[in-house]
Amino acid sequence: MEYRQKLFDKLSVEQVKIELLNTAYGNDQTFLAKLDPRTLFIWYLFFGFAPWFIHNQAILLGMFAFVVVMMLIARSSPLIIFILCLGLLGQGGYLLLAAWFFGGDLSTIMPLLILTMKLSIISLASISVFTSMDPEKLSDGLLKVGVPGQVSFSISYAYRMLPSLIEEYHHVFLSFRLRGKAPEKHGILYWRSIAYFVKIAMLSFYPLMLSTSKRARTTVEALETKGSFFAFNNPKVKAIKLAHLTFRQRDYWFLTFSLLYVISLFIFGILYS
Amino acid sequence: MSQIQERYVLTSSQKMMVFILSMSLYGLSNMITELVPSAYLGPIEFSIEYFAFIPLTLCMLFHPLYAAVGAALGEVIFGEIMLGQFGGFGELEKFISFSLAMYIAGSLVKDPRNRKQVGIAAITGVIIHQFISMMVDIGKVWIGVEELEAVPGLAESIVVIEGFAFLNDVLFSGILFALLPTLYLVPRLYGKIEPLLGMKPRDNTMKFSTGEIVTPRLIVGGIVLALLSFFFEFLSETDFNVEWEADFGENFMWVSIGVSAVIAILTVILMVTRKGKNTKEGMDERKVQ
Repeated sequence: MEYRQKLFDKLSVEQVKIELLNTAYGNDQTFLAKLDPRTLFIWYLFFGFAPWFIHNQAILLGMFAFVVVMMLIARSSPLIIFILCLGLLGQGGYLLLAAWFFGGDLSTIMPLLILTMKLSIISLASISVFTSMDPEKLSDGLLKVGVPGQVSFSISYAYRMLPSLIEEYHHVFLSFRLRGKAPEKHGILYWRSIAYFVKIAMLSFYPLMLSTSKRARTTVEALETKGSFFAFNNPKVKAIKLAHLTFRQRDYWFLTFSLLYVISLFIFGILYS
Repeated sequence: MSQIQERYVLTSSQKMMVFILSMSLYGLSNMITELVPSAYLGPIEFSIEYFAFIPLTLCMLFHPLYAAVGAALGEVIFGEIMLGQFGGFGELEKFISFSLAMYIAGSLVKDPRNRKQVGIAAITGVIIHQFISMMVDIGKVWIGVEELEAVPGLAESIVVIEGFAFLNDVLFSGILFALLPTLYLVPRLYGKIEPLLGMKPRDNTMKFSTGEIVTPRLIVGGIVLALLSFFFEFLSETDFNVEWEADFGENFMWVSIGVSAVIAILTVILMVTRKGKNTKEGMDERKVQ
């Protein structure tokens, strides 16, 4: 409940903006943050996908221990981890209840536990990899892997425009409230007030759509002037832009260590089960 | 040269405008819906699943492909990356299913002033999207649990839970946050928003390049049929029928062989790309230096 209180404290507009920048640029000093984005992608390619096809409990347990250590190294925010745990437990518990309803017994728990473990390995892997990359690094990495230039442009555009978009939305929302009439009674469980606010939240998008389309046009015109459409997927521009991405010694060490760990895990798991 | 020939459709900068517009609007709405808590009444969830009316409206007013891809990307960037919950492969699945559903919904509409068409397209879009995500969720448990059929009750319960969530999302979120606002917005914005992007309103004679070969109705039918077939296949495999049990062992053997083949192929691909990347990297660096 303490977290819920914290969540509500964060709901003011200014706070949201600060929080966003914090999650984006908060931890660039961890070990994982210093690795090359491609190293992290390769690592994630295995840990985000392989668990689905592994049914050996010993191997899964070993992988779980590894991603937990990774998460600790990445210093992910406790709020995200808490939300993740809540979601996993909720889903697992719900499935368990329903399975009992359909005639399951105690033997249902084990497969569900294994499934939950798989899901948590995958989500912890993605959390530790992607929270330790700031947006520039992520977009550079994606660009290098071959994702079109428009995507990395969109990421930087989103970070640039979000504060003004939120502010504009907030203004439209407030002016709707100012001119409208709030329901006099809250109704059972505040449903009248909730319905009123949700309706305003949707109506506010009508003016916003018009103003954002003007903004989109200005943006594209500016991009045209700079010749960005030519630059997005031009290999020479890409090479200059991505020249700072290099595999260093620690990247090789990290990948070698992960590979050795996984191989020994597989040998151990297959021999002793 | 090819640009001049295609000009009657949309120029590349107009495509980019539609893309940016849809990305920033839907992204913003996603951020808002992520922050709003949801209420439960027993198993029924009353939550703002998503403001699907924004991409639906834009897909109906502009070129559906760019609006759909923009909206899906906006969701990933604003709703996931910026809030620090980017989920890797999970996002890929969301991206594909969402942009596919929105694209189909947008291309179903030939005349944005026709309310009946708009309404049917809006609810079809939501149904397709929710249906694909339901199938993916069921598939996850199916792949993730070894010998699903051996666990009593699990197969039925996952189908029931996901099916219930599907109905809940379509009937609650689909009507309140997709159908009604779209019906309100599309006729109002038609003819007003297009000049702001410097283009003509879509008219009912407009055709899309893919639309001439593969009609949207065909795509919808095909996807629904394919998914349904997968669904029934799945039901029959998980057994509601005792007679099939004898076949089952054999089938399962094939499944496990298939899975191991996939793993083998994946590891080979992984090794090759790793090697390829490393060598390419070295060459790139040399070139730059």
